[in-house]
Amino acid sequence: MASESPSSSRKVVVHLRATGDAPILKQAKFKIAGTDKFAKVIDFLCRQLHRETLFVYVNSAFSPNPDELVIDLYNNFGFDGKLVVNYACSMAWG
Amino acid sequence: MVSNQSTINFSSWDGTLSSHEFYLAARAFADKWKRFNPAFPQWSWVPRPKLPWTAADEVDGYLSLENVFLPRSTEEDHDKINLTGEEGPSCSNMDEPIDNATLVQNYGCELHHYDFHILYSSSYRVPVLYFRAHCSDGQPLVLDDIEKDLPANSGKVLMESKWTFITQEEHPHLNRPWYILHPCGTSEWIKLLFMTEASLSKGGVAVEQYLVSWFSVVGQVIGIRIPFEMLNNCGPL
Repeated sequence: MASESPSSSRKVVVHLRATGDAPILKQAKFKIAGTDKFAKVIDFLCRQLHRETLFVYVNSAFSPNPDELVIDLYNNFGFDGKLVVNYACSMAWG
Repeated sequence: MVSNQSTINFSSWDGTLSSHEFYLAARAFADKWKRFNPAFPQWSWVPRPKLPWTAADEVDGYLSLENVFLPRSTEEDHDKINLTGEEGPSCSNMDEPIDNATLVQNYGCELHHYDFHILYSSSYRVPVLYFRAHCSDGQPLVLDDIEKDLPANSGKVLMESKWTFITQEEHPHLNRPWYILHPCGTSEWIKLLFMTEASLSKGGVAVEQYLVSWFSVVGQVIGIRIPFEMLNNCGPL
């Protein structure tokens, strides 16, 4: 994506935090374009952790829809200049 | 309106609710939905009809959202949902050019009507999503058809994760078979959602937030979004 408006093309710092028994990433913070969908964060995590599915949620006690834009999530739920995203492995429960 | 603010205490919480807490959370959820999602079909609380041999119990009931249209999925546009409850411009992907020479179009079934109910499971002590679907001509949809309407991502989740899958069960209030999103993993992921550092330091979260958080996950499976405004004061502040 090359030609976005300046406001939406800003980068967002995403802080990935492992919960439960999920492995911790070497690099927990990274920048992503605000125009990207949250699905990109989920895909990135799945690839890094070699998992098919993960339970991904933000600190405000909800799991964002993959179609939400990162910038929207940041504007609503960001804190201290970053968006904290928690992830847990979907355990073999049930 | 829910006025008395109940709090979930985390000291020994297992992610579950009592039926009374479910009632409080359900009313709060419907109120918030109305406030922040007024253009969409509304959730309403349906109390169980009083039977001659039981005491009237307002708390015993379920949340209902009926006659939601999910347009038939297409390859490019598989996760759009029209929640207006009427045939509108957003249904335009239905108006594909029709080749009159074709004998059968969509088996005469264009719109899929969905009914969603949120019930309390007293065995799992969590909310459970019940749903069913039918075509405009009244023909019920089988699960294979329903899965085609769901967002591509939820198909993946349903296939690959163990914490959500669809089974068919008798609707406890209506005594008819409905599909349900199996609740066996619910308390586990609810605990994950709620047990954040901030809420732990606060010692709990409001019961009223339970269904909002719950629906943020379950809504993804059926392709219904929660407006950010409903989530904004959702977590521990």
